[in-house]
Amino acid sequence: MKPDTDDPSAAMTRAMTRALRASHPVLSRFNPLDRILFVNDFDEGTHGWCELSGNHDNNLDSLRRMARDLRPPQLSNLTFFDTGSHGSIDGTYALKLATRPRTNHMAQAIKRFTYVRRGPVQFEMYFTFKAETIFNQPKVGQRAWDGNYHPSAAQFGDFTLSNDVGEGEDGERYHCALRYLNTDHAGKLVQQWQYKTTVQPTTMMEKQGLASSPVDYHVCHPDDWEPVPNGRQPLCYNEIPTKTNWHYLRWVFDTEKRRNTELQVNDLTMDLRDLPVPRYGHPYWGCERLLNFCLDVRTHCDVRNFLWVDSVVVSVDW
Amino acid sequence: MRRSYTAVIEQGNVYAQDFATEPFEAGWASEARWFVRILAGEGRGEDVRIVAQTEISPDGLVWMGNGDDPIRMSAAPDTMASCLVTGFGHWLRLNVKLEGAARGVKFLIYLALKE
Repeated sequence: MKPDTDDPSAAMTRAMTRALRASHPVLSRFNPLDRILFVNDFDEGTHGWCELSGNHDNNLDSLRRMARDLRPPQLSNLTFFDTGSHGSIDGTYALKLATRPRTNHMAQAIKRFTYVRRGPVQFEMYFTFKAETIFNQPKVGQRAWDGNYHPSAAQFGDFTLSNDVGEGEDGERYHCALRYLNTDHAGKLVQQWQYKTTVQPTTMMEKQGLASSPVDYHVCHPDDWEPVPNGRQPLCYNEIPTKTNWHYLRWVFDTEKRRNTELQVNDLTMDLRDLPVPRYGHPYWGCERLLNFCLDVRTHCDVRNFLWVDSVVVSVDW
Repeated sequence: MRRSYTAVIEQGNVYAQDFATEPFEAGWASEARWFVRILAGEGRGEDVRIVAQTEISPDGLVWMGNGDDPIRMSAAPDTMASCLVTGFGHWLRLNVKLEGAARGVKFLIYLALKE
Protein backbone atom coordinates (compact mmCIF):
# COMPACT_ATOMS: atom_id res chain seq x y z
CA MET A 1 0.00 0.00 0.00
CA LYS A 2 1.30 3.44 -0.88
CA PRO A 3 2.49 5.72 1.95
CA ASP A 4 0.02 8.24 3.19
CA THR A 5 0.29 11.69 1.67
CA ASP A 6 -0.45 15.09 3.11
CA ASP A 7 -3.96 14.78 1.67
CA PRO A 8 -6.11 14.01 4.73
CA SER A 9 -8.83 12.50 2.56
CA ALA A 10 -6.39 10.09 0.93
CA ALA A 11 -4.90 9.23 4.29
CA MET A 12 -8.36 8.53 5.69
CA THR A 13 -9.20 6.34 2.70
CA ARG A 14 -6.04 4.34 3.16
CA ALA A 15 -6.56 3.95 6.87
CA MET A 16 -10.12 2.78 6.27
CA THR A 17 -8.93 0.34 3.60
CA ARG A 18 -6.28 -1.07 5.91
CA ALA A 19 -8.80 -1.48 8.71
CA LEU A 20 -11.35 -3.19 6.49
CA ARG A 21 -8.78 -5.57 5.08
CA ALA A 22 -7.34 -6.30 8.53
CA SER A 23 -10.79 -7.22 9.80
CA HIS A 24 -11.42 -9.63 6.93
CA PRO A 25 -10.48 -13.17 8.01
CA VAL A 26 -8.99 -14.09 4.64
CA LEU A 27 -7.56 -10.76 3.53
CA SER A 28 -5.85 -10.16 6.85
CA ARG A 29 -3.50 -13.02 5.97
CA PHE A 30 -2.41 -11.14 2.85
CA ASN A 31 -0.76 -7.85 2.09
CA PRO A 32 -2.35 -6.71 -1.19
CA LEU A 33 -1.49 -3.66 -3.23
CA ASP A 34 -4.06 -0.89 -3.67
CA ARG A 35 -6.42 -2.64 -6.07
CA ILE A 36 -7.31 -6.28 -5.55
CA LEU A 37 -7.89 -8.05 -8.85
CA PHE A 38 -9.16 -11.26 -7.30
CA VAL A 39 -9.39 -13.18 -4.04
CA ASN A 40 -9.64 -16.93 -4.58
CA ASP A 41 -10.41 -19.01 -1.53
CA PHE A 42 -10.68 -22.55 -2.81
CA ASP A 43 -13.18 -23.49 -0.16
CA GLU A 44 -15.66 -21.93 -2.56
CA GLY A 45 -14.64 -23.55 -5.83
CA THR A 46 -11.88 -23.49 -8.42
CA HIS A 47 -12.30 -19.76 -9.10
CA GLY A 48 -11.29 -20.01 -12.74
CA TRP A 49 -8.08 -21.96 -12.19
CA CYS A 50 -8.21 -24.60 -14.90
CA GLU A 51 -6.02 -27.07 -16.72
CA LEU A 52 -3.52 -25.50 -19.06
CA SER A 53 -3.61 -26.72 -22.62
CA GLY A 54 -1.43 -26.00 -25.60
CA ASN A 55 -2.81 -24.67 -28.87
CA HIS A 56 -4.53 -26.91 -31.40
CA ASP A 57 -6.82 -26.84 -34.42
CA ASN A 58 -9.75 -28.49 -32.63
CA ASN A 59 -7.83 -31.73 -32.92
CA LEU A 60 -6.16 -32.90 -29.71
CA ASP A 61 -3.54 -34.70 -31.81
CA SER A 62 -2.14 -31.27 -32.62
CA LEU A 63 -1.22 -30.56 -29.03
CA ARG A 64 2.53 -30.46 -28.69
CA ARG A 65 4.02 -33.06 -26.39
CA MET A 66 4.80 -30.83 -23.42
CA ALA A 67 1.51 -28.93 -23.57
CA ARG A 68 -0.86 -31.87 -23.23
CA ASP A 69 -2.13 -33.98 -20.36
CA LEU A 70 -1.36 -31.27 -17.80
CA ARG A 71 -4.15 -32.61 -15.61
CA PRO A 72 -7.29 -30.94 -14.29
CA PRO A 73 -6.91 -29.28 -10.88
CA GLN A 74 -8.91 -30.83 -8.06
CA LEU A 75 -10.69 -29.48 -5.02
CA SER A 76 -9.01 -31.45 -2.27
CA ASN A 77 -9.80 -31.82 1.42
CA LEU A 78 -6.25 -33.14 1.89
CA THR A 79 -7.29 -36.60 2.97
CA PHE A 80 -4.54 -39.03 3.97
CA PHE A 81 -4.64 -42.72 4.74
CA ASP A 82 -3.44 -42.39 8.31
CA THR A 83 -5.31 -39.42 9.72
CA GLY A 84 -8.17 -38.65 7.35
CA SER A 85 -9.00 -35.15 6.20
CA HIS A 86 -6.46 -32.45 6.93
CA GLY A 87 -8.66 -29.69 5.50
CA SER A 88 -7.56 -26.23 4.43
CA ILE A 89 -6.56 -23.19 6.48
CA ASP A 90 -10.00 -22.14 7.62
CA GLY A 91 -12.25 -24.49 5.76
CA THR A 92 -12.31 -27.81 3.98
CA TYR A 93 -10.95 -27.46 0.44
CA ALA A 94 -7.79 -26.39 -1.31
CA LEU A 95 -6.87 -26.42 -4.98
CA LYS A 96 -4.68 -29.41 -5.74
CA LEU A 97 -2.40 -30.03 -8.70
CA ALA A 98 -1.37 -33.66 -9.10
CA THR A 99 1.11 -35.19 -11.51
CA ARG A 100 0.94 -38.65 -12.94
CA PRO A 101 3.33 -41.14 -11.31
CA ARG A 102 5.75 -40.78 -14.21
CA THR A 103 9.19 -39.20 -14.26
CA ASN A 104 9.15 -35.59 -15.51
CA HIS A 105 5.37 -35.38 -15.65
CA MET A 106 4.03 -31.92 -14.89
CA ALA A 107 0.58 -30.72 -13.87
CA GLN A 108 -0.18 -27.09 -14.54
CA ALA A 109 -3.14 -24.82 -13.79
CA ILE A 110 -3.77 -21.39 -15.22
CA LYS A 111 -5.93 -18.37 -14.52
CA ARG A 112 -6.44 -16.10 -17.51
CA PHE A 113 -6.71 -12.33 -17.28
CA THR A 114 -5.84 -9.19 -19.19
CA TYR A 115 -4.37 -5.99 -17.78
CA VAL A 116 -5.70 -2.47 -17.73
CA ARG A 117 -2.37 -0.77 -17.19
CA ARG A 118 1.24 -1.85 -17.00
CA GLY A 119 2.94 -1.75 -13.62
CA PRO A 120 3.46 -3.83 -10.48
CA VAL A 121 1.41 -7.02 -10.08
CA GLN A 122 1.49 -8.95 -6.83
CA PHE A 123 0.60 -12.63 -6.55
CA GLU A 124 0.14 -14.01 -3.03
CA MET A 125 -0.81 -17.50 -1.97
CA TYR A 126 -0.73 -20.02 0.84
CA PHE A 127 0.55 -23.37 -0.39
CA THR A 128 1.82 -26.74 0.70
CA PHE A 129 3.33 -29.68 -1.17
CA LYS A 130 4.07 -33.40 -0.86
CA ALA A 131 4.97 -36.53 -2.73
CA GLU A 132 2.33 -39.24 -2.63
CA THR A 133 2.55 -41.85 0.09
CA ILE A 134 4.14 -45.03 -1.25
CA PHE A 135 3.68 -48.18 0.76
CA ASN A 136 6.71 -50.46 1.04
CA GLN A 137 9.20 -47.77 0.13
CA PRO A 138 12.33 -49.22 -1.47
CA LYS A 139 15.24 -48.88 0.89
CA VAL A 140 18.15 -49.30 -1.51
CA GLY A 141 20.06 -46.18 -2.43
CA GLN A 142 17.91 -43.84 -0.38
CA ARG A 143 18.44 -42.14 2.91
CA ALA A 144 16.44 -44.29 5.27
CA TRP A 145 13.64 -43.22 7.55
CA ASP A 146 15.16 -42.40 10.91
CA GLY A 147 12.09 -41.21 12.73
CA ASN A 148 12.68 -37.64 11.57
CA TYR A 149 13.80 -37.70 7.94
CA HIS A 150 11.39 -39.42 5.55
CA PRO A 151 12.49 -40.71 2.10
CA SER A 152 9.40 -39.17 0.49
CA ALA A 153 11.01 -35.74 1.00
CA ALA A 154 13.38 -36.61 -1.83
CA GLN A 155 10.54 -37.78 -4.07
CA PHE A 156 9.14 -34.30 -4.52
CA GLY A 157 10.68 -32.67 -7.61
CA ASP A 158 9.78 -29.03 -8.10
CA PHE A 159 7.01 -26.49 -8.41
CA THR A 160 6.96 -23.32 -10.46
CA LEU A 161 5.01 -20.08 -10.45
CA SER A 162 4.89 -18.25 -13.73
CA ASN A 163 3.00 -15.69 -15.75
CA ASP A 164 2.31 -15.00 -19.41
CA VAL A 165 2.40 -11.34 -20.38
CA GLY A 166 1.50 -10.19 -23.89
CA GLU A 167 1.55 -6.57 -24.90
CA GLY A 168 0.05 -7.10 -28.33
CA GLU A 169 1.38 -7.44 -31.86
CA ASP A 170 3.49 -4.30 -31.54
CA GLY A 171 4.84 -5.14 -28.11
CA GLU A 172 6.69 -7.74 -26.17
CA ARG A 173 5.67 -11.13 -24.87
CA TYR A 174 7.44 -12.95 -22.06
CA HIS A 175 7.01 -15.33 -19.18
CA CYS A 176 8.49 -14.75 -15.75
CA ALA A 177 9.05 -18.12 -14.07
CA LEU A 178 10.31 -18.89 -10.57
CA ARG A 179 10.90 -22.48 -9.59
CA TYR A 180 11.39 -24.12 -6.23
CA LEU A 181 13.75 -26.98 -6.99
CA ASN A 182 13.33 -29.41 -4.14
CA THR A 183 15.54 -32.11 -5.60
CA ASP A 184 17.74 -32.61 -8.60
CA HIS A 185 16.89 -35.42 -10.99
CA ALA A 186 18.96 -37.87 -8.96
CA GLY A 187 16.74 -37.24 -5.94
CA LYS A 188 19.29 -35.17 -4.04
CA LEU A 189 17.80 -32.35 -1.99
CA VAL A 190 18.60 -28.93 -3.47
CA GLN A 191 15.88 -26.69 -1.94
CA GLN A 192 16.74 -23.68 -4.07
CA TRP A 193 14.68 -21.02 -5.83
CA GLN A 194 15.58 -20.60 -9.49
CA TYR A 195 14.81 -18.25 -12.37
CA LYS A 196 14.82 -19.21 -16.02
CA THR A 197 17.15 -17.92 -18.71
CA THR A 198 15.42 -18.85 -21.97
CA VAL A 199 11.93 -18.39 -23.35
CA GLN A 200 9.23 -21.00 -23.09
CA PRO A 201 9.00 -22.79 -26.46
CA THR A 202 5.53 -22.16 -27.90
CA THR A 203 3.30 -24.08 -30.28
CA MET A 204 4.11 -21.57 -33.02
CA MET A 205 7.86 -21.90 -32.43
CA GLU A 206 7.65 -25.68 -32.64
CA LYS A 207 5.53 -25.54 -35.80
CA GLN A 208 7.94 -23.08 -37.44
CA GLY A 209 11.00 -25.08 -36.42
CA LEU A 210 12.27 -22.31 -34.14
CA ALA A 211 12.38 -24.66 -31.16
CA SER A 212 12.40 -28.38 -30.65
CA SER A 213 10.03 -30.13 -28.28
CA PRO A 214 11.38 -29.26 -24.84
CA VAL A 215 12.15 -31.60 -21.97
CA ASP A 216 11.24 -28.84 -19.53
CA TYR A 217 8.02 -26.98 -20.35
CA HIS A 218 9.39 -23.57 -19.36
CA VAL A 219 12.73 -23.44 -21.18
CA CYS A 220 14.48 -24.44 -24.39
CA HIS A 221 17.00 -26.65 -22.58
CA PRO A 222 16.49 -28.21 -19.14
CA ASP A 223 19.64 -26.53 -17.83
CA ASP A 224 18.37 -23.05 -18.63
CA TRP A 225 17.82 -22.14 -15.00
CA GLU A 226 19.96 -20.16 -12.58
CA PRO A 227 19.80 -20.00 -8.81
CA VAL A 228 18.11 -16.92 -7.39
CA PRO A 229 20.75 -15.11 -5.30
CA ASN A 230 20.25 -15.91 -1.62
CA GLY A 231 17.49 -18.24 -2.74
CA ARG A 232 18.31 -21.42 -0.86
CA GLN A 233 15.36 -22.18 1.38
CA PRO A 234 14.44 -25.45 3.06
CA LEU A 235 10.67 -25.45 3.34
CA CYS A 236 8.70 -27.13 6.09
CA TYR A 237 8.35 -30.80 5.16
CA ASN A 238 7.35 -31.84 8.68
CA GLU A 239 8.72 -35.34 8.66
CA ILE A 240 6.11 -37.49 6.89
CA PRO A 241 4.12 -37.24 3.64
CA THR A 242 0.77 -36.89 5.36
CA LYS A 243 1.41 -33.73 7.39
CA THR A 244 0.84 -30.56 5.42
CA ASN A 245 1.96 -27.16 6.65
CA TRP A 246 0.84 -24.00 4.85
CA HIS A 247 3.48 -21.56 3.59
CA TYR A 248 3.00 -17.90 2.67
CA LEU A 249 4.32 -16.73 -0.70
CA ARG A 250 4.32 -13.25 -2.21
CA TRP A 251 5.63 -12.66 -5.73
CA VAL A 252 5.80 -9.24 -7.34
CA PHE A 253 6.53 -8.65 -11.00
CA ASP A 254 6.38 -5.44 -12.99
CA THR A 255 4.81 -5.39 -16.45
CA GLU A 256 6.13 -1.85 -17.03
CA LYS A 257 9.73 -2.94 -16.47
CA ARG A 258 9.07 -6.47 -17.80
CA ARG A 259 10.92 -7.87 -14.80
CA ASN A 260 10.41 -9.76 -11.61
CA THR A 261 10.58 -7.49 -8.57
CA GLU A 262 10.76 -9.72 -5.52
CA LEU A 263 9.75 -13.04 -4.07
CA GLN A 264 8.90 -13.53 -0.42
CA VAL A 265 8.36 -16.99 1.01
CA ASN A 266 7.77 -16.91 4.74
CA ASP A 267 10.69 -14.98 6.23
CA LEU A 268 12.90 -15.02 3.12
CA THR A 269 12.59 -12.12 0.67
CA MET A 270 14.60 -12.32 -2.54
CA ASP A 271 15.37 -9.24 -4.62
CA LEU A 272 14.75 -10.16 -8.26
CA ARG A 273 14.99 -6.76 -9.91
CA ASP A 274 18.35 -7.35 -11.57
CA LEU A 275 17.52 -10.80 -12.92
CA PRO A 276 16.88 -10.90 -16.66
CA VAL A 277 13.54 -12.10 -18.04
CA PRO A 278 13.85 -13.56 -21.55
CA ARG A 279 11.54 -12.14 -24.23
CA TYR A 280 10.43 -13.55 -27.56
CA GLY A 281 12.08 -12.17 -30.64
CA HIS A 282 8.90 -12.39 -32.67
CA PRO A 283 5.34 -11.07 -32.21
CA TYR A 284 2.24 -12.97 -31.18
CA TRP A 285 -1.17 -12.24 -32.64
CA GLY A 286 -4.22 -12.05 -30.41
CA CYS A 287 -2.45 -11.74 -27.08
CA GLU A 288 -3.39 -8.10 -26.42
CA ARG A 289 -2.79 -7.06 -22.81
CA LEU A 290 -2.55 -10.74 -21.91
CA LEU A 291 -1.95 -11.43 -18.21
CA ASN A 292 -2.06 -15.09 -17.18
CA PHE A 293 -1.06 -16.66 -13.87
CA CYS A 294 0.21 -20.25 -13.77
CA LEU A 295 1.16 -22.81 -11.15
CA ASP A 296 2.69 -26.17 -11.86
CA VAL A 297 4.23 -29.13 -10.10
CA ARG A 298 6.61 -31.67 -11.60
CA THR A 299 7.79 -35.02 -10.38
CA HIS A 300 11.35 -36.18 -10.97
CA CYS A 301 10.54 -39.85 -10.33
CA ASP A 302 7.70 -42.31 -10.74
CA VAL A 303 5.81 -40.94 -7.75
CA ARG A 304 2.87 -38.53 -7.91
CA ASN A 305 3.70 -35.04 -6.68
CA PHE A 306 1.09 -32.69 -5.28
CA LEU A 307 0.87 -28.92 -4.85
CA TRP A 308 -2.04 -27.59 -2.79
CA VAL A 309 -3.07 -23.95 -2.73
CA ASP A 310 -5.41 -22.76 -0.01
CA SER A 311 -5.99 -19.28 -1.37
CA VAL A 312 -4.64 -16.73 -3.84
CA VAL A 313 -4.85 -12.94 -3.85
CA VAL A 314 -3.63 -10.92 -6.83
CA SER A 315 -3.41 -7.15 -6.64
CA VAL A 316 -2.11 -4.22 -8.69
CA ASP A 317 -1.33 -0.59 -7.99
CA TRP A 318 -3.75 1.11 -10.37
CA MET B 1 -26.92 -22.25 -7.41
CA ARG B 2 -25.21 -25.64 -7.35
CA ARG B 3 -21.52 -25.69 -8.05
CA SER B 4 -20.29 -27.92 -10.85
CA TYR B 5 -17.00 -28.84 -12.45
CA THR B 6 -15.94 -30.88 -15.45
CA ALA B 7 -12.51 -32.49 -15.45
CA VAL B 8 -10.92 -33.92 -18.56
CA ILE B 9 -9.48 -37.09 -17.09
CA GLU B 10 -8.09 -38.51 -20.34
CA GLN B 11 -7.29 -35.93 -22.99
CA GLY B 12 -7.04 -37.98 -26.14
CA ASN B 13 -4.58 -40.50 -24.72
CA VAL B 14 -4.12 -43.79 -26.55
CA TYR B 15 -4.19 -47.11 -24.70
CA ALA B 16 -3.62 -50.59 -26.02
CA GLN B 17 -3.86 -52.23 -22.60
CA ASP B 18 -6.08 -52.07 -19.55
CA PHE B 19 -5.60 -48.94 -17.48
CA ALA B 20 -6.98 -47.00 -14.54
CA THR B 21 -7.49 -43.25 -14.70
CA GLU B 22 -5.65 -40.97 -12.32
CA PRO B 23 -7.19 -40.59 -8.84
CA PHE B 24 -9.58 -37.65 -8.64
CA GLU B 25 -10.88 -36.03 -5.46
CA ALA B 26 -14.59 -35.31 -5.53
CA GLY B 27 -15.56 -35.02 -1.88
CA TRP B 28 -17.45 -31.78 -2.46
CA ALA B 29 -19.71 -33.35 -5.10
CA SER B 30 -22.83 -35.37 -4.43
CA GLU B 31 -23.02 -36.77 -7.91
CA ALA B 32 -20.56 -37.59 -10.63
CA ARG B 33 -21.04 -38.65 -14.20
CA TRP B 34 -18.43 -40.29 -16.37
CA PHE B 35 -18.48 -39.67 -20.10
CA VAL B 36 -16.30 -42.04 -22.05
CA ARG B 37 -15.80 -41.04 -25.65
CA ILE B 38 -13.78 -42.97 -28.20
CA LEU B 39 -11.98 -40.64 -30.55
CA ALA B 40 -10.27 -43.32 -32.60
CA GLY B 41 -9.69 -47.03 -32.53
CA GLU B 42 -6.79 -48.29 -34.51
CA GLY B 43 -6.86 -51.49 -36.51
CA ARG B 44 -9.52 -53.78 -35.15
CA GLY B 45 -10.96 -51.12 -32.86
CA GLU B 46 -14.50 -52.10 -33.77
CA ASP B 47 -13.88 -55.58 -32.44
CA VAL B 48 -12.76 -54.33 -29.04
CA ARG B 49 -15.20 -54.14 -26.18
CA ILE B 50 -14.54 -51.68 -23.41
CA VAL B 51 -15.60 -52.37 -19.85
CA ALA B 52 -15.17 -49.39 -17.55
CA GLN B 53 -15.82 -49.82 -13.84
CA THR B 54 -16.05 -46.96 -11.38
CA GLU B 55 -13.72 -47.46 -8.45
CA ILE B 56 -13.82 -45.74 -5.09
CA SER B 57 -11.16 -45.10 -2.50
CA PRO B 58 -10.95 -43.64 0.99
CA ASP B 59 -7.45 -42.24 0.46
CA GLY B 60 -6.54 -42.27 -3.22
CA LEU B 61 -4.18 -45.18 -2.60
CA VAL B 62 -6.29 -48.33 -2.27
CA TRP B 63 -9.22 -48.96 -4.60
CA MET B 64 -12.31 -51.13 -4.97
CA GLY B 65 -15.25 -51.35 -7.35
CA ASN B 66 -18.26 -49.31 -6.31
CA GLY B 67 -20.67 -52.17 -6.98
CA ASP B 68 -22.50 -50.55 -9.90
CA ASP B 69 -22.75 -52.10 -13.32
CA PRO B 70 -19.78 -51.06 -15.44
CA ILE B 71 -19.98 -49.18 -18.70
CA ARG B 72 -19.86 -51.62 -21.61
CA MET B 73 -19.23 -50.12 -25.01
CA SER B 74 -17.56 -50.73 -28.33
CA ALA B 75 -14.23 -49.13 -29.20
CA ALA B 76 -15.54 -47.90 -32.52
CA PRO B 77 -14.66 -44.26 -33.24
CA ASP B 78 -17.20 -41.65 -32.12
CA THR B 79 -18.79 -44.00 -29.61
CA MET B 80 -19.77 -42.41 -26.30
CA ALA B 81 -21.14 -43.91 -23.12
CA SER B 82 -21.92 -42.54 -19.68
CA CYS B 83 -22.77 -43.56 -16.16
CA LEU B 84 -23.90 -41.78 -13.03
CA VAL B 85 -22.12 -42.30 -9.72
CA THR B 86 -23.52 -41.32 -6.35
CA GLY B 87 -22.77 -42.17 -2.75
CA PHE B 88 -19.06 -42.44 -3.36
CA GLY B 89 -16.20 -41.72 -0.99
CA HIS B 90 -14.01 -38.76 -1.75
CA TRP B 91 -11.97 -40.34 -4.51
CA LEU B 92 -12.99 -41.65 -7.92
CA ARG B 93 -11.27 -43.35 -10.80
CA LEU B 94 -12.29 -45.47 -13.75
CA ASN B 95 -10.81 -48.90 -14.26
CA VAL B 96 -10.87 -49.54 -18.00
CA LYS B 97 -10.46 -52.97 -19.53
CA LEU B 98 -10.05 -53.60 -23.23
CA GLU B 99 -11.56 -56.92 -24.24
CA GLY B 100 -10.19 -57.93 -27.61
CA ALA B 101 -7.04 -57.18 -29.56
CA ALA B 102 -6.64 -53.44 -29.30
CA ARG B 103 -3.73 -51.86 -31.06
CA GLY B 104 -4.64 -48.52 -29.62
CA VAL B 105 -7.84 -46.82 -28.55
CA LYS B 106 -7.92 -43.06 -28.14
CA PHE B 107 -9.95 -41.95 -25.15
CA LEU B 108 -11.56 -38.68 -24.17
CA ILE B 109 -12.91 -39.19 -20.65
CA TYR B 110 -14.76 -36.54 -18.69
CA LEU B 111 -15.78 -36.53 -15.07
CA ALA B 112 -18.73 -34.15 -14.62
CA LEU B 113 -19.24 -33.28 -10.95
CA LYS B 114 -22.11 -31.49 -9.27
CA GLU B 115 -22.88 -30.46 -5.69
